Amino acid sequence: MIDRMNSRDVSRRALIQSAAFVPLAALVSSAQQTSPAALTPAQMKTLVAFIDRLIPRDELGPGAVEAGAQIYIDRVLAGPNAGEKDSFIQGLEAVDAYAKRVHGAAIAELSAEKRDQLLAELAGGSTPESQFFNRARRLTLEGMFGDPYYGGNKDFAGWDLIRYPGPRPAVAAEDQGLNVDVKPYRVSAYGVKYGH
Amino acid sequence: MATSLKPVDVAIIGLGAAGGVAVLPLARAGLKVAGLEAGTWMDPHRDFHADEVYNNVRRLVSSSPKAQQECPTVRATSSQQARSAGVHPMMNAIGGTSIHYWAQSWRLKPWDFHTRSESIRRYGPSSIPAGTTLEDWPLTYDELEPYYDIIEQEVGVSGKAGNIQGRIDPAGNVFEGPRQREYPMPPLRGAGFTDRMMETARKMGWKPFRPPAAINSQPYRGRAACVFHGYCSAGGCHVGAKNSTATTTIPDAVRTKNLTIFDKAHVTRIITDSNGRVTGVNYIRNRQEYFQPAKIVLVAGYTYENSRLLLLSKSKAYPNGLSNNHGQVGRHYFGHWSSNVSALLPYDINVWYGLPAQGVTVDEWADDTFDHAGLGFIGGASLHVYTERHPIEAAAMNTYGRAPVFGSAWKKFVHDNAGRVASTYLQTNTLPYETSYLDLDPEVRDPLGDPVCRITAGGVRENEQRALQHAQNKMEEWFRAAGAIEVTKPPNNGPGISTHAYGGTRMGDNPDTNVVDRWGFSHEAPNLGVLGASVMGSSGARNPTLTLQALAWRTAEHLVKNWKSLAG
Ligand SMILES: Cc1cc2nc3c(=O)[nH]c(=O)nc-3n(C[C@H](O)[C@H](O)[C@H](O)COP(=O)(O)OP(=O)(O)OC[C@H]3O[C@@H](n4cnc5c(N)ncnc54)[C@H](O)[C@@H]3O)c2cc1C
Ligand code: SF4
Repeated sequence: MIDRMNSRDVSRRALIQSAAFVPLAALVSSAQQTSPAALTPAQMKTLVAFIDRLIPRDELGPGAVEAGAQIYIDRVLAGPNAGEKDSFIQGLEAVDAYAKRVHGAAIAELSAEKRDQLLAELAGGSTPESQFFNRARRLTLEGMFGDPYYGGNKDFAGWDLIRYPGPRPAVAAEDQGLNVDVKPYRVSAYGVKYGH
Repeated sequence: MATSLKPVDVAIIGLGAAGGVAVLPLARAGLKVAGLEAGTWMDPHRDFHADEVYNNVRRLVSSSPKAQQECPTVRATSSQQARSAGVHPMMNAIGGTSIHYWAQSWRLKPWDFHTRSESIRRYGPSSIPAGTTLEDWPLTYDELEPYYDIIEQEVGVSGKAGNIQGRIDPAGNVFEGPRQREYPMPPLRGAGFTDRMMETARKMGWKPFRPPAAINSQPYRGRAACVFHGYCSAGGCHVGAKNSTATTTIPDAVRTKNLTIFDKAHVTRIITDSNGRVTGVNYIRNRQEYFQPAKIVLVAGYTYENSRLLLLSKSKAYPNGLSNNHGQVGRHYFGHWSSNVSALLPYDINVWYGLPAQGVTVDEWADDTFDHAGLGFIGGASLHVYTERHPIEAAAMNTYGRAPVFGSAWKKFVHDNAGRVASTYLQTNTLPYETSYLDLDPEVRDPLGDPVCRITAGGVRENEQRALQHAQNKMEEWFRAAGAIEVTKPPNNGPGISTHAYGGTRMGDNPDTNVVDRWGFSHEAPNLGVLGASVMGSSGARNPTLTLQALAWRTAEHLVKNWKSLAG
């Protein structure tokens, strides 16, 4: 019991010491943009149809699209990852061509079942289409599970899904215990403005 | 033409983990020191965030322009074409890589200082791996002990002693060399999972302990205690609990008014006179070239830059590069062999928060702690289980063939299992070999037109491979005993570019096989010293920084005590 009180005490003190935790990063970042910047509306439509089956909406909650992973992807391709924008779009178009060739229609026109089949064909392979699958999956994970500041993970859907309790200014010993239910703390590292 | 500046006593190239501690004893002794640092001050509010995208995906704290633009090239063997290593993991800043390092702060074992002679004594001459250029260090653990102690106090290290002057305490590392006293702060607390792993290890008859870290477990010298917030591994500390040199020894040195920091100063050459003495350094700042005259030059730009700067600094006295008339610069290089054995547990382990230095270590299978007779290798690896897991990394987890990698079944899988994966860090006693070295890349150049450093890693090492495999198997046993249902042991191919890079300017008594003497000063240019793991001739089974900082302090103290003879 004494231990518990001490650790609470320590974390409260730490909290006060780190009151400047909510940082001023908003001032220096270039991540804030609103309209699609890298992808054309048609490309965006294809991407959305693709990642919608990568992480679908279901009884466990929102999927990648509701979480806004496509917004994250569009922004990074326009900004920090501009160097891979062309190859990403080429890959997207190659996968769309594959869909037409093998499944008879563009990705955005395929049923959910057909799109699932398409993803299963691409997963784990080593063709250029599979490489696109891996890259698009990776960026979707970044968008869905990264800080909502970057445009995805809306309403903290990604963090809820994997039961990540959220970044917080200070962590008490009991929040690192085994068999404890850590109460989620749903705030972006950049303040309450983000995530909704 | 370079603008010539006011002469100083000592010019230090690089204010990272090594240069950042050496400035303090020099400045305290009243020497006028110029700290030439390619980076600048980092601002905890602006630069450090609890954000995986910022720290780990974009690497905005750990990557910086100079390092990236001169990223070394790598090849396995000398018959191959070297390619860019892709990412240079080290930092340019005041504080260097100690800004974002994990801050595990180890002393080496007494055995590490004479691995060659001890192995021959215990297992015979054939135990020495073929092709290694290993020598005993020119100093013993006992000689370095006082300097370990100084760094632990000055920088601030949390830990639990296992051996104080021969008195063994099972709460600490019973295998460590004797220490003169306890750590200045108690060890970082454990987390539920690492405490369970500690219990498990004890039941297996092992002697686990909480490892030392340059992180404040309680407020220390006016700096805050760690808040275990979970974004430590590639970021700086927003509360100042991680004891980088930027928050400890460098500010202390600045307060003496004897250290002047020249930030954004990119040193390009070390200048020598016709007698072979160094006279100062050339550096570029805001596209302007300056010459900083100095009586002593200390090189502390990290292993790759240390060799590169010497090789670039050719002169009449040193036609093959500074201090390279014996052809030893770049030799005896090696990267640390290490591994992450990961596991899936059948219960939530809750390691989201914390930091890599928080955890539990086992030393049974490292160094010469166990009998190697008949095993076919010397050395071993330390096993370290730690906390801090980020959500993108967690969602990207291996599905172990238990679920597809997309769709609702995948969602269910990560919902259940993303919080059940444990990571470890196994570090191997790594040796230097004839076939592994650094030189200048014949083709790839940095934006200033200078060749980048080329790493020839040297190919497969049976000794290190076996030692690490042995440790991986022990790690698997440990995980299985804790209930793991999946254990992944990655293949051991050895490092390319490394965050623990050793050698290139090795320390030793013999000038035919070493660049610097037992004090860290050049065998050839008497007023040139080298700081960093580039002077270390073997790695030990643990991170290098506390050792290279103890050596750097010792070099600086030697300079103060022998100022007249060294400065000429
Ligand atoms: C992610 C990570 C985690 C790590 N964790 C640990 C750990 O837990 N424990 C541990 O012991 N070690 C750890 N290390 C290793 C540790 O960071 C290094 O051992 C240590 O920083 C090396 O010290 P150094 O002074 O030689 O180099 P650095 O700390 O990298 O400093 C070199 C400095 O020199 C400057 N410089 C370079 N070239 C020039 C030039 N030409 N002109 C001017 N300035 C120059 C650079 O800008 C830099 O600031 C880690 C490293 C990384 C990357
Ligand atoms: S885990 Fe501790 S030392 Fe690391 S950044 Fe957070 S508060 Fe600082």
